[in-house]
Amino acid sequence: MDTLSPTGRRLRVAITLLAAALLLAGTAWGSDDDFPFGPFRMYAGVNGPNEDAPDPRVDGTDTTGAVVALTERSSGLRRAEIEAHQAEYEADPALLAPVAEAYRTRNPGAPKLVEVRLVVRWHEIRSSRPTGRYRDETVATWRAP
Amino acid sequence: MAGTVSARLVAWLTEAVPRGRVAAFRTVVYLFVALDLVVFTPWVRPHGDLSTDLYHPLLIGRILPLPAPTKPLVEIVFWLLLVLSLAAASGRAPRALGWTVFALYFEWMVIAMSYGKVDHDRFAFLVALAVLPTAGRARHGDPTPTQRGGWALRVTQIAVVATYFLASWAKLRYGGPGWMTGSVLARAILRRGTDLADLIAPIPFVLIAAQVGIMTFELLSPLIFVLKSRARYLAVAFFYSFHWLTIALITISFAPHQVALLSFLPLEKVRPLLWVRGKASALGLGQRAGGRTPGEPVPVPGDPAVGGPGEREHRAALQQPADWAPRPAAAPE
Repeated sequence: MDTLSPTGRRLRVAITLLAAALLLAGTAWGSDDDFPFGPFRMYAGVNGPNEDAPDPRVDGTDTTGAVVALTERSSGLRRAEIEAHQAEYEADPALLAPVAEAYRTRNPGAPKLVEVRLVVRWHEIRSSRPTGRYRDETVATWRAP
Repeated sequence: MAGTVSARLVAWLTEAVPRGRVAAFRTVVYLFVALDLVVFTPWVRPHGDLSTDLYHPLLIGRILPLPAPTKPLVEIVFWLLLVLSLAAASGRAPRALGWTVFALYFEWMVIAMSYGKVDHDRFAFLVALAVLPTAGRARHGDPTPTQRGGWALRVTQIAVVATYFLASWAKLRYGGPGWMTGSVLARAILRRGTDLADLIAPIPFVLIAAQVGIMTFELLSPLIFVLKSRARYLAVAFFYSFHWLTIALITISFAPHQVALLSFLPLEKVRPLLWVRGKASALGLGQRAGGRTPGEPVPVPGDPAVGGPGEREHRAALQQPADWAPRPAAAPE
C-alpha cells in the first residue's frame, strides 16, 4: 500500500480545510467575481409566482434590410453575457456597436449591420407557470453612423 | 474523544483506493478537457474575436494578473491545452502535465467567465484537475491501494457534494424559502426549454413540486457520505438522473460536474480494452503469449471452459477491496 507520510497527510488536511473555508465564505458573502469560490447561484434568483419572464435577444438589420439573429454562434457573445450588461446597453446603446463588430469579424462575407437592437420578449407567468402569451419590447437600438 | 473523531475524519479523508481507479479517473478527466474545448464549451474560443473592452476580468484575473485575451493568446491557450490534455490522459508525467493542464484550464475558465456570465458547473472539475497531479503515478488495472489517490478522489467527491449543498444555501440567500414556490423553473423553460419541457410546464404544480424536490435533494446531498456501497451508488445514479432530466428539459448539461461525479464510482472495474481483447480471444481472433497485461485471463488448451473455477479466481483477483495486498500469482494449471 502506498501510504502518506505524516507531512503529506498534514498538508492535505490543511489544504482541504483552507479550500472549504474559502468556499463557505464565498457562499455566505461572496459573489460571482470570486470564481471559483463564489456562491453556487445557478437559478438562485427571486422570481415571484406571477412575475413575467424576460427573454432577451439581440437582433440586427443588415444593409439588405434582412433581420439577423445575433446569437452566440454569429456574434461570439452568449445571451447571458449580453443580459448581464443590459442596463448599460439601455443607458448607452452605442455600447452595442462592438456586437456589430464581432458579427462582422465572424462573418466577413455577410452584409454589414446597419442597426442592432436589444429586444426583450416578456412571457406571461401566472401561478408559477407560463400561460403562452408574450409581448416584445425593444430596450436599446444602435444605428451605424 | 476529540482526538479519535479527528483521527477518524483524517482516515476517511485519506482512505486508500486502488491505483487503477486513479488511472481511470485521470484518463477520463484529461480526455474531457480536450472534449470540453471542442464540444461541450465551444463558446470560449470565440471570445478571442471580441474586443478586449468587453473583458472584465474576475477577481483572480485582476490579482494575478492575467493577460487580456487577445486572439493570439486565446488560440495559443486552446492548442496547448488540447495537446497537453491528450498527453496527460496517457497517465505519463502526472505532475508536470497535470499542473500545466490545471494552470491552462484555469486561465481558459477566466477567459470564459470574464464577459458577464460565470457558470457554476465547474468547481468540482477544477478541484479534480488541481488534485490529480498529487495522486502519484498510477497504471490501469493496478490494484495497489494508494492514500495519495484516495485523498484526490475524496476531495473531488466533497467538491461535488458541496456544489449541490451550497447551491441550496445560495437559493436561500438570494431567493429565500419563497424560491420553492416561485417561477424560476418556468423562466428557465421559457428561455431555453425543449418541446418536452413545454409540454410539462403548463401542468399545475409540476414545476413547484420540482422546485421543492430540488431544494430537498440539495440539502440532503451530504448524506451520501454515510451511505454504504449499494445505497451510495443509488444516490450517485439519482444525481446523474437529475442532470439527464435537466438536459432533456432545458439543455443544460453540467458536463464537467458529471465527470467529477465519477469520483464516487469503482472505475477500476471498467476495462474497455480488456473486454475487447477478451471478446476477440473468445472468438479465436489470435492470442500472442507476450501480448497481455498482468492479471488478464489467458485461455490455454486444457483450461476450464468460460465460467469455470479457474476464470472465477482470476476475476476475483481483479476486484479486490482497497486493503487487499498482492499475493504471489498461483502456479499455472
